[in-house]
Parts: sequence; structure tokens; C-alpha cells
Amino acid sequence: MANERTDLMQGTLELLILNTLARESMHGYGIVQRIHEATEDLLKVEDGSLYPALYRMEERGWVKSEWGVSENNRRAKFYKLTKTGQKQLDAQRANWNRISNAVTKILQAT
Amino acid sequence: MKPNRKQTTFEVEEELQFHIEMLQGNYTRHGMSAAEAKTAAARRFGNFERVKRQCVDIRRRNSLLRRVLKTSTILIALIGLSIHFLASNYKVERIGNTLIMIAIAGRLLIYVRGLGPSSFLRTNATSVITCTPDDV
Repeated sequence: MANERTDLMQGTLELLILNTLARESMHGYGIVQRIHEATEDLLKVEDGSLYPALYRMEERGWVKSEWGVSENNRRAKFYKLTKTGQKQLDAQRANWNRISNAVTKILQAT
Repeated sequence: MKPNRKQTTFEVEEELQFHIEMLQGNYTRHGMSAAEAKTAAARRFGNFERVKRQCVDIRRRNSLLRRVLKTSTILIALIGLSIHFLASNYKVERIGNTLIMIAIAGRLLIYVRGLGPSSFLRTNATSVITCTPDDV
């Protein structure tokens, strides 16, 4: 099959991370796995690229990290959403819906 | 106590290494040999050294710049307040008021933006997420 790769909008990864962390705190590997599972592998996050995004989000105060123990008893860094992150998620979600609705209307009109 | 660059690098390495080992474990459970799993995990993760460098840089630069800016706004506010209360001349007092306004605006900017200088340093080249409908 054709390897059709379409870059999504900038900020999409942040929205997906915020949304994933809204349920529970997770380590980076867990976040990527959850995104792959939720999208049935339609969206592929480059695993390594997740971390600079997470670090930027932490600096902005959207997520907070702390070391803990993983499901296989390994030391791992867990990320959780902050109140600022929750507000950011709400704002980004609303923005995404607005853009999505607008594009859908345009496509339906033509 | 703020970690130094060596400690930050060590922590980033540990975090990324954990991710790669989890990937390897996953591939091994799906029937790959240890060598195949290692290769597949490295391929899926991408450039380890580049990611590590980016993470360390974000942590170090942001921390330093944020601290400098936060301290600067406090200093400017204090100078402004001193001028405001000590000045006998209206024009001089206005300078104090201006400094206070600058400090408040700066502090608000830091708060609202979360001020990641990384947001200014963001590279356009990185494609972090792709939609692959036919990629089977």
C-alpha cells in the first residue's frame, strides 16, 4: 500500500498529549501507546518527538512530572495535567472543534 | 536545589532509555528476537542523541531565562515603587509609575505564556505526528 504521510497541524501533538493525560498520569511510553490505541494506529507519533513536546509543556506549566514506579517496577517519570493544562486543553479542544466545523462546512458547500 | 547540566542529562537519558526498553519488551513479546527488537525500537524512537540534546536544552535554557526574567520584574517593580514614593517631582514620579507598569506587564507575560523560550526556539522541521491512512 502507499505510504501516504500527511503532516497534521502544529499543536496537534500537544492537544493529543493533554487529552491523554486528562484521564490519568502517565509516562511518555504510555502516552504514545494510548494515542496509537485510541486512533487505531491511524495517527503515528514519532516516539522521540514526544519528549521535547512534553518538556516544553512542562515549562509552560501545562503538565507536571514526578518520578515513580512503572507497571514493570522500573523507575519512570510520570506526567500529569495541571489546572493550567486543563484550561489549555479546554481552549485547544474548542479551537479544534471550531476549525473542524468550519472546514467541514466548506467541504459540504462545494 | 536546581540540578546541573550533568544531572539533567542523566535524568533525560534515564527517561528516554526507559521508553526504548519498553518498546523492546513490547517487540519481544510479539515474537521478535532480542536483536530485532533492539533495532526496531531504535528505529521507532528516532534519533536518541538529538532528542536528548533537545530535552536538556529546553530544561536548561528555560530555567535560566525564566529565573532571570522573574528576578528582573521584581527588581524593576521595587525600583519603580521606590521612585514613586520618594519622588517629590511629578515627572520623576511618572518614571516610577512607568517602571511599575513594565514590571506588571512583564510578570503577566511570564505567567500567561508560561514563558517557554522554547516556544520561540521551536523548530519547524520536526514532523512529530503524521496521519497514515494507508500505511499498513
